Amino acid sequence: MLRDWRFWFFLPTLLALGIVVLFPTGYLLWMSLAHWIITEPGVYFDGLANFRTLFRSASFYDSARVTALYLFFSTVIMMVFAMLMALALQHSRSGILRSAIVLPLVIPPVVAGFTWRFLLNGEIGFLGAWLFPMVGLDVNMLSNPSGALVSVIIADVWSRTPFMFLIFLAALQGIPRDYYEAVRLDGATAVQEFFTVTLPLMRSAVAVALLFRVVDAINTFELIYVMTKGGPGRATQTLSLLGWKTAFQNYDLGGAAALGVVMLVVTTISAGIMFARFMRKA
Amino acid sequence: MSGYAGQSIWKSLGRAAFLSVAVSFVLFPILWLALGSVKTRNGALAVPPEFIFQPDFTAYTRIFTQGFLGSFQTSLTIALTNVVLTMVLGVPAAYALTRMTGKVQENLSFWLLSVRMAPLFAVIIPLYVLFRGIGLLDTPIAVALAHLTLTLPMAIWMLVTYFRSIPIDLDQAALLDGATRLQVLWIVILPIARPMLASVGIIVFIFSWNEFLLAFILTSRDAQTVPVAVASMAGTMSFDWPLIAAVSIVSMIPALLFVGVAQRHIVSGLGAGAVK
Repeated sequence: MLRDWRFWFFLPTLLALGIVVLFPTGYLLWMSLAHWIITEPGVYFDGLANFRTLFRSASFYDSARVTALYLFFSTVIMMVFAMLMALALQHSRSGILRSAIVLPLVIPPVVAGFTWRFLLNGEIGFLGAWLFPMVGLDVNMLSNPSGALVSVIIADVWSRTPFMFLIFLAALQGIPRDYYEAVRLDGATAVQEFFTVTLPLMRSAVAVALLFRVVDAINTFELIYVMTKGGPGRATQTLSLLGWKTAFQNYDLGGAAALGVVMLVVTTISAGIMFARFMRKA
Repeated sequence: MSGYAGQSIWKSLGRAAFLSVAVSFVLFPILWLALGSVKTRNGALAVPPEFIFQPDFTAYTRIFTQGFLGSFQTSLTIALTNVVLTMVLGVPAAYALTRMTGKVQENLSFWLLSVRMAPLFAVIIPLYVLFRGIGLLDTPIAVALAHLTLTLPMAIWMLVTYFRSIPIDLDQAALLDGATRLQVLWIVILPIARPMLASVGIIVFIFSWNEFLLAFILTSRDAQTVPVAVASMAGTMSFDWPLIAAVSIVSMIPALLFVGVAQRHIVSGLGAGAVK
């Protein structure tokens, strides 16, 4: 093996990722079993105490629920929206519309969050203070719990749909024309055509998009941080935000690490299932 | 519209209506951000909103006077360091990966994919402790290193898809002429791959430039990046919208310059790379 050039070409990457990913992950496991409060002097092994505390705290279940709701609704809306846009633009020759639609892709989520917060604000926002009241929708979305979650989802859909749109568009354009000719001769409607030809052929693209989406949603932090900081109350506090609060506001590194372990396990299992089901054979 | 036979007028109308709603939904916030950056502070907060106003560019000059220049410098340092590290590490690794076969190659690819899929949050807390331990907290190099967790697997993945399309015969010919593997990579492969290398570099740069969470946790004052500086304005008492908007607009310039070039490869790299 040491004679193989490929080993030496790959080794630096292995070492680098070892330092920034593998070692930290191993260290996370140890931290999750330790009593480790930044503001207290001693760090000691504490068994499963962090996990016990975590599974007994109401805020953990709240955050898990918020994360699940957020993940589910943002993903469904995003997929439908991205698919409709890809279908509408698949034969379009002009790149202008496509470029316009993917523009949010290069806008940092911090900026996206800020902009939507500003638009939806009930006192000064273009939408929240002017357009919505004009059409009789007099709600201050960011300051009521379900409205805040809806706001965060809108901003996230805005910011993340373009990526999914690009994946779907590439997949759509890769479907050979003759597949459609066949069903069209059978007199299929556009909707039938979509469900019998298009969607089955896009299976792996949808799986990839879904996989990226789930990881992305679980990692979402700044958008929510900037828009609501997890509030009002705990209405938009996802697991990432809870983790950040545990580690850097309550200074409980052990507790945050335990949460990190739980998140790691959940994503690994769900990504593994999706990978095994859709992508291994593709 | 390619004009299908039998496509009804209603279908085209529906498509046009949907597209105009979608495009306005996408573009309006950007437009509003841009307008906000050239309003006065009171003008930006006016209800009903001002559509016609005297543009005021003082927010842009305040970027210089209110200490944001340092953040731009830090962001640039971090993003460029990250691009160099990613390329130097990733190019040989990706090349080696495409010249492997069987189980090893499969396992390494899967491992890279799983690194990319790990929740960021699980890595951040230990990295924070690690960097604090070796005194790297609040330095650009810490953030650039941390960004490798995402950019390195991403870059290797995109490069693998591309390198695979370069015929192995080219390697063989050069090897027969007595070239070493490093020379093959440097003299034969890289010149062919130049456009792809540029795209990957751009995507990595934009990612690093825009990334928030790692930069936010690993820095506090000295090495604040632009997104972190923008977010910290959220906490300030006075809501200075024109300044936030101006900083945001300027921070988007590098990405906007590159987006035309990189757009296509984001899909071919991230999406198709997994499908194929």
